[in-house]
Amino acid sequence: MRSPKNWLAILLKPFRKHRAEQELDEELRFHLEKQVELNIAAGMSPDAARRQALVEFGGVQQTKERVREISWGYPLEALLQDVRYGLRMLRKNPVFTAIAVLTLGLGIGMNTSIFSLIDSILFRSLPASRPEDLVLLRWHAHHQPKLHGHSSYGDCPNNRSANNPNPNGCSFSLPFFTIARSQTNLFSGITAFAHAPQLDLSGNGAATIVNNAQFVSGEFFSTLGIKAALGRMLEPADDTPASASAVVLSYGYWQSAFGGSRTAVGRTIRLNGLPFTIVGVAQQGFSGLSPGSQFDLWVPLATRPHLTPRWMPKDDGGGSWWLILVARTKPGVSVQQAQTAVSLLYRNETLHEEKPLYAEADAPGVDVVPAQQGLEGFRRTALPPLYILMLAVALVLLIACANIAGLLLARAVGRSKEIAVRLMLGARRSRLVAQLLVESLLLSFAGGALGLLLARWGTYGLMVIATRFNSGPPPFNPQLDGRVLAFTAGTAILTGLFFGLIPALRSLRLDLTPALKTGSGASTAGISGSKWYSLGNALVVAQVSLAIVALITAGLLVRTLRNLEKVNLGFDAHNVLVFGLNPTLAGYKGTQLDPLYRDLQEKFAAVPSVTSVSYSWMALLTGGEWDTDIHIPGTPESERVDSDFMPVGPRFFETLRIPLLAGRDFSGADFSAASLRSARPPDSPPDPAAAPIPVIINETFARRFFPNINPLGRHVDEAMTEDKTRPRGPGWDVVGVVGNTKYEGLRREISPTMYVASGGNGWFTIRTAGDPMQIVPAIRDIINRRDNNLAMFRVATESQQIDKLVFFDRLLARFSTAFGLLAVALACIGLYGLLSYEVTRRTREIGIRVAIGAQRSNVIRMVVVPGLLLATTGAAVGTGASLGVSRLLSSTLYEVNPGDPVTLVGSAIVLIVVALAACYFPARRATRVDPLVALRYE
Amino acid sequence: MGEQLDLLQGTLDLLILKTLALEPMHGWGIGQRIQQISKEVLQVGQGSLYPALHRLESRGWIASEWSTSDNNRRAKFYSLTAAGRKQLTKELGEWEKLSSAIALVLQHE
Repeated sequence: MRSPKNWLAILLKPFRKHRAEQELDEELRFHLEKQVELNIAAGMSPDAARRQALVEFGGVQQTKERVREISWGYPLEALLQDVRYGLRMLRKNPVFTAIAVLTLGLGIGMNTSIFSLIDSILFRSLPASRPEDLVLLRWHAHHQPKLHGHSSYGDCPNNRSANNPNPNGCSFSLPFFTIARSQTNLFSGITAFAHAPQLDLSGNGAATIVNNAQFVSGEFFSTLGIKAALGRMLEPADDTPASASAVVLSYGYWQSAFGGSRTAVGRTIRLNGLPFTIVGVAQQGFSGLSPGSQFDLWVPLATRPHLTPRWMPKDDGGGSWWLILVARTKPGVSVQQAQTAVSLLYRNETLHEEKPLYAEADAPGVDVVPAQQGLEGFRRTALPPLYILMLAVALVLLIACANIAGLLLARAVGRSKEIAVRLMLGARRSRLVAQLLVESLLLSFAGGALGLLLARWGTYGLMVIATRFNSGPPPFNPQLDGRVLAFTAGTAILTGLFFGLIPALRSLRLDLTPALKTGSGASTAGISGSKWYSLGNALVVAQVSLAIVALITAGLLVRTLRNLEKVNLGFDAHNVLVFGLNPTLAGYKGTQLDPLYRDLQEKFAAVPSVTSVSYSWMALLTGGEWDTDIHIPGTPESERVDSDFMPVGPRFFETLRIPLLAGRDFSGADFSAASLRSARPPDSPPDPAAAPIPVIINETFARRFFPNINPLGRHVDEAMTEDKTRPRGPGWDVVGVVGNTKYEGLRREISPTMYVASGGNGWFTIRTAGDPMQIVPAIRDIINRRDNNLAMFRVATESQQIDKLVFFDRLLARFSTAFGLLAVALACIGLYGLLSYEVTRRTREIGIRVAIGAQRSNVIRMVVVPGLLLATTGAAVGTGASLGVSRLLSSTLYEVNPGDPVTLVGSAIVLIVVALAACYFPARRATRVDPLVALRYE
Repeated sequence: MGEQLDLLQGTLDLLILKTLALEPMHGWGIGQRIQQISKEVLQVGQGSLYPALHRLESRGWIASEWSTSDNNRRAKFYSLTAAGRKQLTKELGEWEKLSSAIALVLQHE
C-alpha cells in the first residue's frame, strides 16, 4: 500500500512538473557523462567516446516521455490509457456511439429535469434569514377540540378527521397567539399569519380581485428577517385596530400591477372599499413563507374584521382557530423548554376557559417543530405527481440501459478475439474489466453531459406547463445546483456501471482456444453461444415488458382523455363567456345586490353579438359546487339524501341551452320572492311558516327520488338538523324538470341537482353569436361605469374552462404517450440489435442451410420466430405487470378500467407490429446470404 | 562482449530490486552492476532503465534522494524501501518457482 504522502506526491506531481523535468534532465545527463568517462577509460578519444555514448544511449525524448507517463502515477496512467483507448473504440463505431449517447442523454436529461423540480420543492430552505432557527407550533390531543370555527390554508398538514384518535393541526386562535406573544422569554420573536379572503382592490386603474393576500401580525417581517425593497415593512404599530390601514406589496405584484413605480409607496388604494396606504415593497424573492406560496400583498391582522365579509366577533375568540404561528428560537432557551412552556399555555387556554375546548383526559399539548419541515405548503400536492413522473422517466432510463447493455453485449462478442489475444498476452482480467467499464462510463458521461443540456430545456418546458394557468412567476425555481449536478453525475455513473458491468464480466468468460482459432470470431464465438444468447434474450424480454407497461399506461391515459373530451356536458358550451363578480367585497348589501344584477344583465344583453345573459351562484365547470342534505317525504324521517344545489338567475337554462323536459321555467314572481328572501339578515333562522320554494330538478333527481311517478308538484323537505331546536325551513316544491348537466367539473358523476330562483348573486354567464372574448372590453366598460370598485375575476369562455379541466389529463396523456413510444422504440432497437447480431453470427450456418436447399421462407422463419417469441414473452410479462401498475392510476382514469381489454390488446398489437418490423430487416439480410460468400466468410 | 539478452519488464524490475538490496545506487551504477554481475550478458539500456526506476518509485518500492557521487557531482540515488524489500522476496519466490518449473519441463525430454 502507498502512504498518504506518496499519494500527495502523485497528486502534486503535475503541478511540480517543471522541477521534475529538470531533475530528469539532470539524471539523464549524469548517466551520459558516466558513459562517456567509461568510454574514455576504454581508450577512445573524447569525441568518439561522446558519439559512442549517445548512440548507445538511444532516444532521450522517448525515455523522457515514458518516465513522464509513469510519473503521473500508475493508476492514473492506466486510467488515461483506458480513456484514450475507449475514446478510440467509440470513434471507431460512430453509429453505435451516437445511438448510445443520444439514448442516454434523453434518459438522463428527463431524469435530471424532473429531479431538479423535486429538488427545488423538497430541499429549498424557507425564504427567511437563518431559516433553521424558525419553528412552527403544532397542537395535538386525544380528541377534537370543540371549536366554533377552524381554517387552514395548506401551510401544514391537518389531521382533524373525526375518527383520528390523535388529531393534530397548526391553526390557533387569536387569544392564544396574544398570550404566546406576551411570553417574551420563550422566543426571540413570534408571528401569526393567515390567508386572507378574496379582496377587491380599486384605486389603481380598473378594480381587480386579489386572491392572494395574507393577514400577518405586526412582527411578521421582523421575525422572519425580511427586508424592504422599497419603503418599510409592516411593524407592530401598524397592527392595532386604530391604525390598521397599511399594506405591503410583494415585489412581483409591485412589478406587475404598479409597473415597479417608486411612487407606488405612499399611495392610497382601496381594499374592499376601505382606504389603505402602501407603506413598502418586500424584498425580491420573498412571496410568502410556506413553500409555493405566492402572495401579492400583506395586511395587518387587525384589518381582518373590516376585510372579511360576514365577520363576527366570535371569529376572533378562543373557539375559532385560524392562525399559523411561527417563532424564532431564543438563544439560551432550548426547543424542549419552549415546548413545555407553550404546552402549559395551551392547556391553560383550552381547558380553563369558561367553555373548555377539551376534557382534561384529552391531554392537549403543543409541539415546537422546525418550520422547514413543518411548513409543507404546496410540497404535499406538488410532489406526488412529480414522483410519478420520476418513476416514469426512471423506467425509460432503465430500458435505455438494458438496450445499451444488449448492444455492448453483442459488440463484446464481436471483440472476443481482441480480448482473447490480450488475455493470452498476460493482461490481467481486472484490468480488462476496468477498461471495458471505462468505455461504458465514457458513454454514460457523454450521455450525462448531453442530458444536462437537455434537462435545461426539459425543466423550462415543465415550468411553462406548470405555470400555464398562473399569472406571475412560478412558485418554484429549479436551478442547476450542486445537488442536481450530483444527481446527474450519480445517475451517469450508475447507468454506466449498470449497462457496462454485465457485458464486461461476461466478455471475460472466454474459452481462449476457439476464439483464437476462428478467424473472425464470428461463427462459433469463444463465448458459449447459448449462454450469451440467453442473457441477451433476458435483456430483450425485460425491455419489451417494461415498454408494454409504459405503452398500456399511455393507452389508459389517452382513453381517459378521449372520454373526458367526449363527455356529454348537457349544455352547449360553445360561445359562452363566464366570469365572477363579488359585489359584497365592494360594499353591496342584501337589498342592493338584486338591482345591480338586473341592471347589469340588461346592459350586457344590449352589447352587440350577445344573445342571452344570466347569472348563477357559480358558473358551470368552474370548480365550485354546493350540495345540501334533503329529505324525501315518504322515506323514514331520519333518512337524509344528498343533492347538488344551484341558485340561478332569470334565463339560466335558456342561456346555456339546457332543455326543459317537463313543467315550467322560473317566473318573474319566483325571482321577486327570491330577492325578498335574500334581503333577510344572513344569520336569521328559517321561517317554517313560509311557502315552499319552487325548485327545478334535473333528470337524475327525478329518476332517483321519484321513480315512475310524475315529479311535478312533489315536495322536498330540508334534512333534519343536528340541532333539534332549530326550526326546519319550508322545503321546496318541484315545478320543472331539466336535462342533466355537468356541474363543477367533467369527472364527477352527474348527481341529483336542485335549481332555485335567486336574487342578484354570483357569476355571469353570457352567450354570444361570435367569439365571446371579443365582448370582454365592452363588458368591463359597463361594469366600470356602473361602479369602479367592482372587479370581474376569472374571465374565460366555457371552452377555455374545459381546456383547463382536461389540461392535466392532456398533459399526462401526451407525456405518457411520448414515454410509451420511446420505450417501445428502444425495446425494438434492442430486439433489432440482437437479431442482426444473430444473423451475422450465423452467416456461415445460414449459408450452409441455403446451400443444402433451405427455402427463403425457412430462413426467414429462422430469424423471425425467435424474435417474435421474445416479443410475445415480453408482452405477456409486461401485460401482467401493468395490471398491478395501472391500479395505482385508477384515481386518474375516467371511465376506463385498469384492465381495459381494448388498451391491453391494442398495446400488444402495436408492440408486435413494431417488433415484426424489427425482425424484418435482419431476416431480409439473412435471405440475401450467398452460400458461396458465406462459406468463404471467415 | 558475449551475446546480449534484452530483459522483459518484470525481470528488469526484479534485477533492479535485487541490485538495490545491497546498497543505494544511482541509475548508471545500477545498469553497470547488472551488466558486470551477469558477465556482460544482460545489457540494460537507459530507455528501459529509467522508466522502470520511476515506475518502481511510483509504486513505493524504491525511494530516491539527490546526493553527491564521485568528483562531487550531484546524482540521484535510489534505495530499497520496506515495501520494496517485501516485493523482492515475493518476486524472488515466484522467479524460483517459474525457473524450476521451466527446468522440469526442459528436463522432461
